[in-house]
Amino acid sequence: MIKLGSESLADLSAGAVFLATGGGGDPYVAQLVAEQALDTYGPVDLMAPEELDDEAYVVAIGGVGAPTVSLELLPSIDEAIATLDAFEQRVGRRIDALVSFEIGGGNSLIPIVAAAARGIPVIDGDGMGRALPEAQMMTYPISGVLPTPAVATDYEGKVTTFDTTDILAFERDIRQCALSSGGMITSAEHPMSGRQLKAAIVPNTVSFSIALGRVLRANRGNARQIFEPLAALFRDSIYGGLHHLFTGKVVDSSTRIIGGYDIGQAHIQAFDDESRVLNISIKNEYLTAELNGQLLASVPDLITIVDYETSTPINAERLRFGQRVTVFGIGCPAFYRSARALEFVAPGCFGFDFDYRPIEELVATRTPAA
Amino acid sequence: MRIGIDVGGTHTDAVLLDGDQVVSAIKTLTTADVSGGVFNALEHLLDDSAVETDRIEAVMLGTTQFTNAVVERRQLSEVAAIRIGLPSGRGLPPMTGWPGDIAGELGGHAYMVHGGTLYDGRPLAELDAGEIATVVADIRRKGLDTVAISAAFSPMAAAPELAVAEQLRAALPGVNITCSHQIGRLGLLERENAALLNASLLAFSDRVVRSFSEALVRRGLRCPFYISQNDGTLMDAEFVRQFPALTFASGPTNSLRGASKLTGLEDAIVVDIGGTTSDIGVLQGGFPRESNVVIEVGGVRTNFRMPDILAIGLGGGSLVRDDGHSIGPRSVGHKLVTEGLAFGGSTLTATDLLVAAGKLDLGGDARPVSLAPAVVANGLATIGRMLNQGIERMLPSKDRLPVVLVGGGAVLVSGELEAAARILRPEHAGVANAIGAAIAQIGGEVERLVSYSEEPREDAIRRLSREAHANAVAAGADPATVRIADIEETTISYMAEGSTRLRLKAVGDIARINKGVAA
Repeated sequence: MIKLGSESLADLSAGAVFLATGGGGDPYVAQLVAEQALDTYGPVDLMAPEELDDEAYVVAIGGVGAPTVSLELLPSIDEAIATLDAFEQRVGRRIDALVSFEIGGGNSLIPIVAAAARGIPVIDGDGMGRALPEAQMMTYPISGVLPTPAVATDYEGKVTTFDTTDILAFERDIRQCALSSGGMITSAEHPMSGRQLKAAIVPNTVSFSIALGRVLRANRGNARQIFEPLAALFRDSIYGGLHHLFTGKVVDSSTRIIGGYDIGQAHIQAFDDESRVLNISIKNEYLTAELNGQLLASVPDLITIVDYETSTPINAERLRFGQRVTVFGIGCPAFYRSARALEFVAPGCFGFDFDYRPIEELVATRTPAA
Repeated sequence: MRIGIDVGGTHTDAVLLDGDQVVSAIKTLTTADVSGGVFNALEHLLDDSAVETDRIEAVMLGTTQFTNAVVERRQLSEVAAIRIGLPSGRGLPPMTGWPGDIAGELGGHAYMVHGGTLYDGRPLAELDAGEIATVVADIRRKGLDTVAISAAFSPMAAAPELAVAEQLRAALPGVNITCSHQIGRLGLLERENAALLNASLLAFSDRVVRSFSEALVRRGLRCPFYISQNDGTLMDAEFVRQFPALTFASGPTNSLRGASKLTGLEDAIVVDIGGTTSDIGVLQGGFPRESNVVIEVGGVRTNFRMPDILAIGLGGGSLVRDDGHSIGPRSVGHKLVTEGLAFGGSTLTATDLLVAAGKLDLGGDARPVSLAPAVVANGLATIGRMLNQGIERMLPSKDRLPVVLVGGGAVLVSGELEAAARILRPEHAGVANAIGAAIAQIGGEVERLVSYSEEPREDAIRRLSREAHANAVAAGADPATVRIADIEETTISYMAEGSTRLRLKAVGDIARINKGVAA
């Protein structure tokens, strides 16, 4: 178990935005809140999953909604605490540790805020190894953890409880709740035992994210310069290899809040050849990267867009006309390549009419024209 | 003919351009009242060139006064920050994350009231007239006359900010107000920060604009004058009075544009070496490359569009330590002329290294500098290493680019730089900023509410691009040079599905001077 203090937050947050694949909400405001929490309550224990008692009672906590909303409806320590209070009241027992839905973006920090306030540990790992838009896409339900009992609080402090054991019904209900509560809520859900957690979690992603943030900071430079150190880090991780997919200028980017998600497209044009255009489809996260019709990467593999000059990851809601960017693809954690997981995260689950093909395969068969 | 003036912290430079040609250039000292320095520069310039004042069509000013005010925490007014957004955001009040000294300069007057809008256009909470009245009473009690107002989702729905502004104006006649929806896009904290910095500069901006205007009138110039903004286009005096924060990065922008003009290069690295820092920027197609990341001004996060500049702590006045192995970031700055060894002082500066090496003759009263040869060699190697590393970091690809040296500290580079394809030291490099101001561009903006369900998005963008283009040309831009510089879309969710506020900006080179030049 290690102590996680506010000095680690900048690295954690930088790594988390990289793993957020465009979604996950604005990390800056979440980082401010987490700093406040750690400064007020002291460092948090970051516990490796194997250190957790099998009988421990853990709940996942984080924000649900459209990332754009987090730019305007600012999160707070109180909201995280209120959610935890409401959850404990609902289940009538104390929680032993917290874990995040997704390491990607601001949701990597919410459990830290709540754990700091409560003086309980946060587990080193998450339910996605990245960010994804819907509840049934987490490793927890795919591994058999029930979503409820669950509670959510909104910006006014209004509490909603959820009881359905059907994950798709739960996703519909909580999305509807977010939609009618300002577009963003904080939810405590997927309560599980230590034993269940160990079988379901993507392990060590919090410490990986800190290491990733450190690599980004230590190798400040453009995307070309940072490629090797980044690739070396990913090579020895639960993720697959890092691939350079494209570099160019954002010529169009548009997302809208539809049905509680940020939905849209971005077009990135090669610097030296106007006819080469990479199309990125977005549902909170970057889902696919297609170059002139040829697929280069798709969910559940990771697609990350960074500022070409500084290698700073750029979230979908911050993508703007004229930005010069590099698009990276990264193999997803092995869990998501199983047939069971692909039922929930394959391209078809997002409305695409093609099957999942691992990024290594797509990159290997990339034609010279692309 | 037109005049470009750059008012910096130390120098006020001026150039007279006849079309593309530099007729005359002058470097003078900035005076405490600004106006005196501008007048002196105009006086010298017009006397030198013997040009009649009525032949001057326009004066373009670039100034780092407002950036410097924020960075140096001076001339800033106290500001009441009113955020409309409770019950949301209580944990992160206005000025959260600001350096303590600048928050202190603004007085730390943070107020939060209920109200604002949700993403779907429904009210976040209703405005409470009583609550606002309490805030207004407190502002009156404190004697504050400047207010920044922000509200959740105000770029989509400005009404709550406008309502509070109205209540303030009614209660406090003459109050200065900046509303966040006027100056920023989505991203409450950054937009609020921009509004706060802008508001804190309003009184100073009024003085600066007035002193510019006085200097021009005193020298007999009756032509219009404009001030350059972040994106290299021009604003008129009234606009600057309201939005001084829009000048924040105009200095580097002008320097880069001036360097392009002086060398004819479209793609290059420009290193502007001053007394304390070297600012490295990149020209692409003749324009500064913009930064993609959130920019801090004086330690405060904002979301202005700004050129991508890498500032390294190396300038003419940088302190040399450790036998020349370490230079900067501390600098004697403008005191170089009294504290540097070559000027009879006792501090070893980067400039002294060049003098000791026999590579720089300061002339006049300058004294010889004698240093151990190893210190000189180490020092020159350190200068080269720092600049090479900085340039490497900014290079767009692995291909080297020409490097243009501008600024008073350009003398620090005596030989070649490995990271440069070649080095250019154009004539008039010392006044590149003033030249950049003189060739600032003309902008044409258009902002419309469109409905993508009635008109496909691509068609709407094409239609508005044509309109922005026409506006730029009407304002005096050369049609052949006009390009779309910015597209901004804001979903207006409370209206019919697909309703979007679309804002486009087109910019182009000046073809002629006429009224309404600024967008």
